[in-house]
Amino acid sequence: MVGGKVNSGRMTALLVGAVVLRLAIFYLLPGLSDLLAGRVEISTPVTSFKRLQEGLFLYQHNVSPYDGGVYHQAPLLLPLFSLFPNFKSFPLGTYQLYIVADLLSARALQLIADSGEAGSSALFTSPRREKRWTGLIVAAVFLFNPFTIATCIGRSTSVFTTCAILHAIAKAVSGAPFSAMVALSFAAYLSMYPLLLLPPLLLLCYDRQHPSCAIKSAGKFAITNILVVAGVLAALFQMSYFMTGSWEFLSSTYGIQLTLTDLTPNVGLWWYFFIEMFDSFRSFFLAVFWLHLSCYVGGLSIRIRRQPLAVLTLLLGIFAIFKPYPSISDTSLFLALVPLYRHVFPLMRYTFVEASVILYATFLGPSFYYLWIYAGSGNANFFYAITLVWNLGLSLLVCDLTFAVLRDEWEVERPEMVGKEIRQI
Amino acid sequence: MPRLLAGALRLRRDPRILKLPPYLSLLCIFVGVVWLLLLPLNDYSRRTYISENALLPGQVHTYFGGSDQNVFRAYKHEVNALVGKSNIEINDKLESIVKGLGLKVACQNFTYTSAGRVYSGENVYAILQAPRGDATEAIVLVAAWENVQQEVNRNGVALILTLARYFKRWSLWSKDIVFLVTPDSIAGPQAWVDAYHDAHDSARVDSLPLKSGALQGAIAIDYAQEGRFESVHIVYDGVNGQLPNLDLINSVVSIAGGQMGMGVALQEMWQHNDQYPDRLRTMLRGMLKQGLGLASGPHSSFIPYHVDAVTLQPFGDGWQDEMAMGRVVEGTFRSLNNLLEHLHQSFFFYLLMQRERFVSIGTYLPSAMLVAVNFTIMAIALWVKSGQPESSNNTPTPPASEGETAAPAASNPAVERDIFLPLGVVTLCQSVAVIPLYLFNHASESLLTPFFVIFALLNPLLPLILSNFLTTTYRPTTQQYQLIKSFSLLLLGMFLASLATLNFSLALLVGVLASPLTFMRPWPNSDAMRIACTVLLNTVSPTSVLVASAAYWQLDIGTVLREAAFAWHVCGMYSPVVVWCVWWPAWLAGNVIVLGRPDESKGKEKVL
Repeated sequence: MVGGKVNSGRMTALLVGAVVLRLAIFYLLPGLSDLLAGRVEISTPVTSFKRLQEGLFLYQHNVSPYDGGVYHQAPLLLPLFSLFPNFKSFPLGTYQLYIVADLLSARALQLIADSGEAGSSALFTSPRREKRWTGLIVAAVFLFNPFTIATCIGRSTSVFTTCAILHAIAKAVSGAPFSAMVALSFAAYLSMYPLLLLPPLLLLCYDRQHPSCAIKSAGKFAITNILVVAGVLAALFQMSYFMTGSWEFLSSTYGIQLTLTDLTPNVGLWWYFFIEMFDSFRSFFLAVFWLHLSCYVGGLSIRIRRQPLAVLTLLLGIFAIFKPYPSISDTSLFLALVPLYRHVFPLMRYTFVEASVILYATFLGPSFYYLWIYAGSGNANFFYAITLVWNLGLSLLVCDLTFAVLRDEWEVERPEMVGKEIRQI
Repeated sequence: MPRLLAGALRLRRDPRILKLPPYLSLLCIFVGVVWLLLLPLNDYSRRTYISENALLPGQVHTYFGGSDQNVFRAYKHEVNALVGKSNIEINDKLESIVKGLGLKVACQNFTYTSAGRVYSGENVYAILQAPRGDATEAIVLVAAWENVQQEVNRNGVALILTLARYFKRWSLWSKDIVFLVTPDSIAGPQAWVDAYHDAHDSARVDSLPLKSGALQGAIAIDYAQEGRFESVHIVYDGVNGQLPNLDLINSVVSIAGGQMGMGVALQEMWQHNDQYPDRLRTMLRGMLKQGLGLASGPHSSFIPYHVDAVTLQPFGDGWQDEMAMGRVVEGTFRSLNNLLEHLHQSFFFYLLMQRERFVSIGTYLPSAMLVAVNFTIMAIALWVKSGQPESSNNTPTPPASEGETAAPAASNPAVERDIFLPLGVVTLCQSVAVIPLYLFNHASESLLTPFFVIFALLNPLLPLILSNFLTTTYRPTTQQYQLIKSFSLLLLGMFLASLATLNFSLALLVGVLASPLTFMRPWPNSDAMRIACTVLLNTVSPTSVLVASAAYWQLDIGTVLREAAFAWHVCGMYSPVVVWCVWWPAWLAGNVIVLGRPDESKGKEKVL
């Protein structure tokens, strides 16, 4: 038990370190948090803290928060934030909320890592699973990832979605399907896209049920859990309805994501495409883009059926690239789960290239944005070009991880091929 | 096709390919520098041309002259009487004069503190409302009471008053004209422009009581010289190496040079014969100024706000009088008045090498990019190298089973890289860099020189201490040294490539000065080489370069640091960030590598 104590002591030290770092940035560099809150890489129309404050102001003055056409986030965030003292006069309350969300995410991540699900799931056990990082390291990688820190400092509300998704996975891994579904419903309520994670999450829950209270029939299990999600979502929507007094919030929050009416630049691939689009093609391409985004769910869930956690990881990576309003916070969520696959890192082929491309894009992005918006000597193509590079880096990472996971499975099936180079025939 | 691919794959594993990168890097640096030197040739540079047709420079007759000469003399008399008085008294007098002309006048106070010194004053400005405009656009005419050399700008201020009176009589202005007189050349205009765009810190700078429309351009007059002049010197460098639109410079060149028949000089090249050496010198001076990123005149503060601006400075001994200078300003203002939209046609990134010759970004950027790429090439090469088993004990037969040797595709699996220590070292180097940055920007003036001396003395010792600490505590292997170098060069290459898009010259200067870092490696067996490399690195360290350049231009190091701190606090110059947070950490990491003693035994254990 001594080991456990040492570990929990280390975990506490890690959490304290993360809190101190965040508070230090908030208080020693007050300009930085406002700067980051305004950056398009961090704050998208559906997660921006500035827009949240706008909505909060309207809400507190008994005006519908969606009236200004600025606020596109879930209605229940408003009563949550109005519990806290006014941000302008007493910012510590809000900071605490964001920091706690980060810490809870790290805690969930630690649970996922320590469960060993990544290395050996119910249907597949990797021969390399011995080489893995402990939950402590995985949590540290998440907490001290500059992208996570920037998201927390920029007070993007996607922090809460991240927290909910990680809790859903953690609960699923620890054999609590009901809690997992509730957490997923919260994530879906906040940003909609996590609903696409339902199929692999169901698989994960099904695989990791407690034998004592397991539902053997897959169909029955799926229906029960889908009903849970639907029930929780219905309850949340009903609460939102009572709070705002109309169903308007549905079109202003989820409708915006579905129809992409706000074309503020972000790190994703949608905005530029839809700026250029003729109106007559708009609905068609919206359907195509959404279809493209959702088609990965089925394919990956079937192909990597034996490792549902890998499907979840890869899907989060794909969402960070192809969803309508991505930001670096989605990337930070993906990068938080990647270290779980430490055991397949030796099988990945382009780690250095991926890391360099992502690093280059991280630095060139803001500088091109500056040239476009402030210096006036560049144009929108500069920034879009760099978001292409950024997404190229991320998609390389997703592909490489997929390759490594599949190769790991394949080497179990075909032990004679271990260590051989693959060749295209 | 498959055969070609197989060939490429085989080539990838060829050990000779890893011998190549250092030469490739050297080639990149060499080509980058030679590229730069080729630019002044006729084949690589272009003649300037007016891109924005609406400007029509020199196409209008200018009427400033005649009786305005008497007005000028009267104002000159008033200005002479004000010399030596306080800022407030001067502004009161100027205010009453301009009010008498029927313009709206307002004042603005500002107080900046930097390096323990207080820079404060009061700007006075007047707005001439356009008879044909709707106050949505404005052009600015600036005269600082004191120019950059702290000479009183007697003729400039008198000329601005005369022009205000003269411009008021015309009914053809379609943009408002703002006349601005600032007590000094840097802080005053900066405070005014910041406040004009509501981007000021209201604790230090007052808001403007009176405003006009969006600024379309600005001309500053720096005319401290007495008597007649020969040519006009155009100063165009903005803060952080940003430049005004080339069309503005071309218009002034065409009006002053073409219409008025004066000479035009750039970059303090008082004589220019349009031959290669003079062109190169002009270009290099421009690059140096751009690289330093300091404000060079009252116009500099306007450029970051996307307001194209230049300072005109008469010089030499000729037959042009104040009226001719006034006509140049009149002609330029008539051109700017024609603009239908913001200057956007011509170039924002260029290097001028003569008043009518330039190279644009597409032609010169490759040189900085090549220098930046050399670091990246080396970083990639070292990454690949660190993944290969050490060749010393690597026999051609892989230690796999006998059956596998038959398959030619049996790959040499990459060695696991231990990346935590290298990442830690590079992160440490990067984070230590905050100390000099903070120190030199926040120390008070009297402490700057002592701090710098201490820092310069500690600077060669720091890598020694760090390297000793590393070797005794962690005993890094060759692979880890390779990775430290790889990460540090990767960061350096990345920062410089990003910087090259913002400030080409700074990226190139830092890139060339840091280029020895590409070739540094540990010398476990040769003390002579280790010492030689350390000495080389210390001669190109940021501190010694700073000392050497201060000595070359006969500047006091305290003054240099004070000016840098002033530019940092007032103008938002970011060159110190580049020096301390990009160059210095890379230098530190490079020096640690040179002093490193890789632990061979540990490395071999791993491979076996």
